Amino acid sequence: MAMRELVTGGAACAVPGSSSSSNPLGALANALIGSSSKNQERLKEIPVATPTGPEQFFQDGDPLRALPGSEQGRAFLPPNAQGSEFLRTFHSAYQNDLADAWDDVQSGPLHPVVSDMRVGTSPQLPPNLDGPPQRMLSGLLHTFVDSSRGGIPFHPPKLPLLGLSERDKQCIRDRSTIMARHFFADKSEDFINSQVNALLHSLDIDSDARAKGPLPGRYRELEEYWNESQGMMRHVPHVADGWANEFKELRLNHGNPEFWAHSFEQQHGANGWASEFEQGQSQLMTADRMRGVNVPNIAAMEQTRILAHTLAQNSDPKFQNSKFLQFVSKMSRGELIIDDNQVKPAPGDWASEFQQQYNSGPSWADEYLRNHGPDQWADEFAAKSEHVESADGQWVNEFSKLHMNDWVEEFGQNVAEGAFGEGTSNDWANAYDEYMNEQIAMKQRSDSSRGVYVFSDLNPYVGHPNPLKEGQELFRKGLLSEAILALEAEVMKNPNNSEGWRLLGITHAENDDDQQAIAAMLKAEEADPSNLEVLLALGVSHTNELEQAAALRYLYGWLHHHPKYKSLSSPEMPPSFYHADVAGLFNEAAQMSPEDADVHVVLGVLYNLSREYERAIASFQTALNLKPNDYSLWNKLGATKANSVQSADAISAYQRALDLKPNYVRAWANMGISYANQGMYEESIPYYVRALTMNPKADNAWQYLRISLSSASRHDMLEACNSRNLDALQKEFPL
Amino acid sequence: MATSELKSDAVMEQMKQHLATDAGKELTKKIGLVYQINIAPKKIGFDEVVYIVDLKKGQLTKGPCEEGKPDATFSFKDEDFIKVATGKMNPQIAFMRGAMKIKGSLSAAQKFTPDIFPKPSKL
Repeated sequence: MAMRELVTGGAACAVPGSSSSSNPLGALANALIGSSSKNQERLKEIPVATPTGPEQFFQDGDPLRALPGSEQGRAFLPPNAQGSEFLRTFHSAYQNDLADAWDDVQSGPLHPVVSDMRVGTSPQLPPNLDGPPQRMLSGLLHTFVDSSRGGIPFHPPKLPLLGLSERDKQCIRDRSTIMARHFFADKSEDFINSQVNALLHSLDIDSDARAKGPLPGRYRELEEYWNESQGMMRHVPHVADGWANEFKELRLNHGNPEFWAHSFEQQHGANGWASEFEQGQSQLMTADRMRGVNVPNIAAMEQTRILAHTLAQNSDPKFQNSKFLQFVSKMSRGELIIDDNQVKPAPGDWASEFQQQYNSGPSWADEYLRNHGPDQWADEFAAKSEHVESADGQWVNEFSKLHMNDWVEEFGQNVAEGAFGEGTSNDWANAYDEYMNEQIAMKQRSDSSRGVYVFSDLNPYVGHPNPLKEGQELFRKGLLSEAILALEAEVMKNPNNSEGWRLLGITHAENDDDQQAIAAMLKAEEADPSNLEVLLALGVSHTNELEQAAALRYLYGWLHHHPKYKSLSSPEMPPSFYHADVAGLFNEAAQMSPEDADVHVVLGVLYNLSREYERAIASFQTALNLKPNDYSLWNKLGATKANSVQSADAISAYQRALDLKPNYVRAWANMGISYANQGMYEESIPYYVRALTMNPKADNAWQYLRISLSSASRHDMLEACNSRNLDALQKEFPL
Repeated sequence: MATSELKSDAVMEQMKQHLATDAGKELTKKIGLVYQINIAPKKIGFDEVVYIVDLKKGQLTKGPCEEGKPDATFSFKDEDFIKVATGKMNPQIAFMRGAMKIKGSLSAAQKFTPDIFPKPSKL
């Protein structure tokens, strides 16, 4: 993933110990300002910790490898402390708040994002919205970069007018565009645009055509190029410094369009820029390994192009004609290269020349030559450039024809439709909380998903003399959660008590927890492999979990172990099952003894599996005629109807089940589902709440409740839902 | 053979039937977009089964070819799709974790929420 590579420096980078990442912005800044003498002075002001800071910080970036799509699956335990320390050093060094803001943007966000990704740690830092405008800005930019780095949609909080000057706005706009494009190199165009516009909008910055940003529309190939080229670059310290400096200067000198160029010239002299640049380049070139075509010069060219373009935007003739601009333009077009502390016209085989002169990068040059002969790069580059409509100044022109309008329209639409409204940002934050909760609960769930039973803590029945009997009593009375505790005590005492496990499994199923039900039933099966009820229950639970193959196996097992019907099945269990075969066998069994309700029940379950709902309904009806007071049958009938989208009919079946067993959690939840599936979200809510009151651990029901709440636009109660505040929900939604 | 069927098949089937009902018609009015959903059994991008969820016409078809282009395309693993469709996993989280890939219009993608899918009832 491009973004990951951008930040972490790519998987192939083998620079141990040092930070193996790059920051395109940093590199750009570095290229622009680099290690000028003036900067050196500034740097000396900073405490010594700084140079190592970025490295630590960028090592924090490693965890981002584990971001979307990572196959490496590294555990990440970033040192949060180092990130904050780094931040602190910057804070102390610079009085300029806005520069700090950019420092924060550069360096800060990773550590909150990283902490986001860690299990069980505190959630993402919200943007700091108090304090002076600069702080707010930094907070906002924080969030922007956070979300960018996290690859998630950016929902800006509302900010009051920050009193940004035009110059500020322009700079912010430009920079954020660049950043966004880099972060989202592999996301869609629209995504990038909407992110940036979200940021800009909250800052009240115009994002219309006036902003001829340096990085426009079609940029894909160059993005990839950029990413590759950055991929191997070692992170150079002073990254954020460069930004801060530049920004500071800009901020101090509003309204003077030439200032920027002049300031450079003042600071470094017209050629001084070149010398910095080459210093920057030599740093880049001393990276240990670089992949073939990805030449620092490409990076340099990219940077200079951006630079040139930005400068070219200013139509002041003095500016245009400045030598500096011309110089930069030439650089960008590859007509000049920095070679050995001098600016020279680009030779054809610069690679070999390079190799001669820079022995520090031998492996790179070797590899390069090996891979590509010196001219091939130029050809490739030219080819690629043509692809982006020619390698010379036209590139710049092309980019001026932005697709800005598309952005703006879409953004306008989005705002109108409230896509970025408060609701969604709340949702997002809530979603994040859920994620954290999920992480914590995940451990439990992953255990039981593998069929490992998870016992409850603090079981009051553990010392009980006869927990099984107690459990059975409680079950009969309909106190399912209590029954579970008692039965757990039983099976803790007697792990081979299949009856205990069986009842435990059934109770869990009725409590709408198929995971635990399966785990318990598997234990029961171990203890007693031929217990028909167990096998049936396993079949049902697996059907609910959409595990077709397993369900078939258990249902077949039911037949196999049945004293009456085992003749129908073959002596050994076949390795795989065809649904049609199994169904056929059961039909035969039904013909053998039509009064056997169980056979019909199994048939009903089977037909549910194959989604032959009409047949399933028929089977269940038959079974119900034989056993009209079996509440679970009514539930099955209802569920079958609901799944075949006859939700209205389903409800009456569920009602019958509930009449027979009022504490039947599953039926309550199913009722809710049936209403929700018909779009009657308001009505579904009380049913979910009732189910949850009886079993607060029914995770499914929590999820569905959430969906219903937001579909019914009851955002006020979403908070209660997320915090699992049953009291509030019960008060609000009585049945 | 049962194992070659995706779990998502069941959800899609239900969705298909759901679209024919009144509630389904509501959906088409509310959303009015066409989604393409690629479901892969084990790893995104391999052996994908393509579904076209047409919330303009209210149809759900299996298989890629259809007239016009989808407004947004999603790619999931089988299990992850189930999680998102039943609300177990929030789509934003899924996206963040790379369990869900999106192509196409972002605004269209944002409308793809769990509540458009009907939930399976438990036997």
